Amino acid sequence: MKYLDKETFLHRLDPRSKIVMGLMGAILIVVLKTPIALFLLFLTVLTIFALLRPARRTCRTIIVLMATAFCFTMISQGFFYALEPRTAIMTFLTPESGMMGSITGGIALYREGIIYGALQSLRLCSAMLLSAAIVMSTYPADLLLGMGSLGVPERIGFVVTVSIRFLPVLLDEAQRILLAQKLRGLNTKGVRGGFRAFRYLLPPLIIDSLRNARRTALAAEVRAFTGKRTTVRELRFAVRDWVTLGFSGAGMIMLILYQAVSP
Amino acid sequence: MITIDSFSFTYPGMEVPALQDISLGIESGEAVLVRGASGSGKSTFLYCLNGLIPHVFAGSSVGVVRLNGFAPSEVPLREIAKTVGTVFQNPESQVFMMRVEDDVSFGCENLLLPREEIIRRRDESLRFMGLWDLRRRETFKLSGGQKQRLAISSIYAMGPKVFMFDEPTTDLDGSGRQEFKNIIRNLKDKGKTIVLVEHQYEDYLPLMDRIITLEGGRIVNNGMTTEVPTPARATTAPPTRRAISLKGIRFDYERGKNVLENIDMEIQRGEIVALRGDNGSGKTTLLKILGGILKPIEGQITILDIPAPTLESLVGRVGFLFQNPDEQLFAQTVEEEISFGFSRLGNNEGSDRYLDIAGLNTLRHRHPQTLSRGQRQILAVVSVMAMEPGILILDEPTTGLDSGSWHKLFSVLYDYADQGGTVIFSTHNEHAAAMSYRQIVLNEGRIISDEISR
Repeated sequence: MKYLDKETFLHRLDPRSKIVMGLMGAILIVVLKTPIALFLLFLTVLTIFALLRPARRTCRTIIVLMATAFCFTMISQGFFYALEPRTAIMTFLTPESGMMGSITGGIALYREGIIYGALQSLRLCSAMLLSAAIVMSTYPADLLLGMGSLGVPERIGFVVTVSIRFLPVLLDEAQRILLAQKLRGLNTKGVRGGFRAFRYLLPPLIIDSLRNARRTALAAEVRAFTGKRTTVRELRFAVRDWVTLGFSGAGMIMLILYQAVSP
Repeated sequence: MITIDSFSFTYPGMEVPALQDISLGIESGEAVLVRGASGSGKSTFLYCLNGLIPHVFAGSSVGVVRLNGFAPSEVPLREIAKTVGTVFQNPESQVFMMRVEDDVSFGCENLLLPREEIIRRRDESLRFMGLWDLRRRETFKLSGGQKQRLAISSIYAMGPKVFMFDEPTTDLDGSGRQEFKNIIRNLKDKGKTIVLVEHQYEDYLPLMDRIITLEGGRIVNNGMTTEVPTPARATTAPPTRRAISLKGIRFDYERGKNVLENIDMEIQRGEIVALRGDNGSGKTTLLKILGGILKPIEGQITILDIPAPTLESLVGRVGFLFQNPDEQLFAQTVEEEISFGFSRLGNNEGSDRYLDIAGLNTLRHRHPQTLSRGQRQILAVVSVMAMEPGILILDEPTTGLDSGSWHKLFSVLYDYADQGGTVIFSTHNEHAAAMSYRQIVLNEGRIISDEISR
């Protein structure tokens, strides 16, 4: 997930509009509770993401991520849903079936758990798509500028944008460490192998990231970074930003009202 | 421009000062090279001049440092940055913005200059550094040399009178180093004062007015010298049996863009071979093919009598070391690190022998990441050697090492080759290449020369 150098409607919006839209989305993700309202929110966010005209490869990655989130959350919630009332749609072990049954309290797949898992997944996927749409359509320096003009301290904004820039570097490094483990004969196959690889991945990755962070911090110090800056880049709030924010605000109110009046 | 009088500095918790009784003057427009082994105090010396000591690194100091009439300890970093600009070793960690022109503006923005002034300085700096045509390029698409030029350009735009370079060309290839030489020459022509700290400084000697040698935090030499260290002996192990055979190897990452083309090569057991060439010449790709990490698109490959080997089939037979040793040190202690690989091959004895080879016996219980850079590199090499592979492949093993660590590393490699091991390493550095038995030079994916080292 990194900035796409394109000319789309989303790219032309002022970063401040996109940050405000992100905040509206975050409020809706927390406030909305009914399946239809959350589904409508998800559809809206999906449409916003589609405005980016992402590459086929990006779409594939997003679909795999969303499908994984849906499957994992629905199945895990289906099994571990503890609130009443709950309806078992498939029972694997009853509480009465011997010692295992009494220890576990029975193992079953619950309808309410699956629905709850689906709603949580809608929330998660909406958040993921919305943040991806903002990051992929906003040049990091403009994002920093937008956050600054909305009152986010410059240092925090700077940390966010530098993190975005260094994320691919970190991923490259993790890949090299995993490869180095294999070359030293570490068996990384299977679930146990995966845990083993993870155990030996973290120390060098963390230590090297800290070394990199120190180097970057020193480079920022000698370039007089204190958090206060003037800037060459300028943000312009255009009519399309007002219109977009107007529509977003109206949509937000309508979704909340719809939830309030629906049974 | 710079005056230092009886200056000493000690880091917190240390008994021995990092700098001791330094007295020195550097004139405006002078170019000074600072050299010395790792731990001799070179970086500390720079930090005292550019204000990172005491503003970022605390410690106790005595004596006086004055820079263009003021004491760096009494002036905020933002003010010091108007007089002194510092460029560090790693170009990657000095680039903050996604576009070249934004990165050049970054320092000026921090100086709170007005927008028009920033644009004027930015454009002048981009032209001066030859980056004008790349101004809209995304920074991650630049080569190492271009990134380092960008870091210097960003500093240049801030308008300092003094430029300090802390091992700026360690990560650069031949053309990157040539670019840097031209930059130094241009900065000198502009009357800038230059303080250059560099391990591999031979190329820059003609541009320097003075050389300062530090040892144990003290100045042991302050003057001009043309002495260049002579490389250690090149191994002359006679070729015996074939270790590697490549015939007609071709490789690409993207269809139609060959990274390697028509590579034919034979390497015998006991040879030490240096692979040379600029960035993008295909060195690392070739090393990865030899290590079984990449499979060639075309051609025949035989490694230690295994035809068309896979990564799995070469584990334990071929040792591979990436450029950054820190990515390859996983264990909690030095001893555990050495046995990490061979214990997985069912062999649980021998760590003492390799601790001796690495010269780390007294540090066996230390965490590997707390060792010095040179010691970490030696440990990474010896940990791979401990698996007793027939071939050792090293990607830029001398990067960032001082001459002492270099010689230690090569003495370990010579002993390994004397026992029939084959070493292939890539390097930008011609002095490191001269320590090999044979040098193969790549250019745009093809072998353009294959000669015995003299």
